[in-house]
Amino acid sequence: MGEAIVITSGKGGVGKTTTTANLGAALATMGQRVALVDADIGLRNLDVVLGLENRIVYDLVDVVEGFAKLKTSLIKDKRFENLYLLPAAQTKDKNAVSPDQMRQLVSDLKQEFDLILIDCPAGIEQGFRNAVAGADKAMVICTPEVSSVRDADRIVGLLEAHELRQPLLVINRIRPAMVRRGDMMDIDDIIEILAIELLGVVPDDDAIVVSTNRGEPASINQNSRAGEAYRNIARRLLGEQVPLMNLEEAGLLNRLRRMIGRSR
Amino acid sequence: MPRQRRQAAAPAVRAPDLGIEGVMAASERERTLLVRRHLRSGHKIRYPGNVVVLGDVNPGAEIEAEGDIVVMGTLRGLAHAGSEGDAERVIAAFRIVATQLRIAQYIARAPEGELPPAVPEVAQVRNGQVLIDSYAKYVAERTGD
Repeated sequence: MGEAIVITSGKGGVGKTTTTANLGAALATMGQRVALVDADIGLRNLDVVLGLENRIVYDLVDVVEGFAKLKTSLIKDKRFENLYLLPAAQTKDKNAVSPDQMRQLVSDLKQEFDLILIDCPAGIEQGFRNAVAGADKAMVICTPEVSSVRDADRIVGLLEAHELRQPLLVINRIRPAMVRRGDMMDIDDIIEILAIELLGVVPDDDAIVVSTNRGEPASINQNSRAGEAYRNIARRLLGEQVPLMNLEEAGLLNRLRRMIGRSR
Repeated sequence: MPRQRRQAAAPAVRAPDLGIEGVMAASERERTLLVRRHLRSGHKIRYPGNVVVLGDVNPGAEIEAEGDIVVMGTLRGLAHAGSEGDAERVIAAFRIVATQLRIAQYIARAPEGELPPAVPEVAQVRNGQVLIDSYAKYVAERTGD
């Protein structure tokens, strides 16, 4: 019997889909059987980030409406043996699915998989209610911006109302140099407001943009800082104790830059 | 001598005056709601008495109490004490970082760019303005009465 985790944020564009794809890939390489569910019906993205767009035949709405079997609708990832995707429908909207249908769908998936990651749409309406319906746990993604923290706080409150207490926090796109200069909220500021458990911090990384556009999760890229952060988060999800990585950029060039006061 | 923090008060903005009908019997007025959680963005509490929060009140959360409001944490959201017109009511918190405070018909904005001190504070109306004092000063004045 698996566990379903909804990945949510309230605000759009903070990295829910990227996090879902990268954590899914990292967990699959660690031997977990993982199903990713794109609950963003009408604005399907997760397939693109995983590079699986051209393999979609059936989607989530086909499954809940009974047009297609769950097993035939799941797309097997092209790189990872244990990773599967249930894509969102692109031509429908959020009202095509009800929370009860999602609950049934997720409970069916839990029979087959160790972990189900549900990529929640932005917002707090029907799409959110659908995405959280079948989840056992919630992960809240937040970037170091006041607006993102405000929305994350609202989401934490709404998750409580859906019986999803103690969500896990992932702070995404932190830029250590900006934090150091006091131009960006730091991790402690965010945790002080949200008052939930920190699961991980993902640094801002150009490699994410490249990997997202190429459809290759960065978490399998050994040279990507964000990829490393995602692998650490995956390990923590599996119960391992992994210290937060040192966000200060290492390397001679950066040290030199700092010495001559041109830290970036 | 604890310093006094003056809110940039906007006495011109007045909530509707609710008059005699809004004032409750003394015993009824002292009923208190204890909230043992954080109030997060989107949460709203409206109560015909005092409200005590064992937690933080985050930006986007609202408390409207006919009596006093006490926050045993950081007040960042909107608090309105004496919401039925009782200007004797106070708002107290471990830290007041709210962008706006309301007591009865008085509304005060926090001064821009000034970081509030990390000490417990009490907001009350004096001479038609919402003023924030340190809790220590508030207590000293009370016991001096």
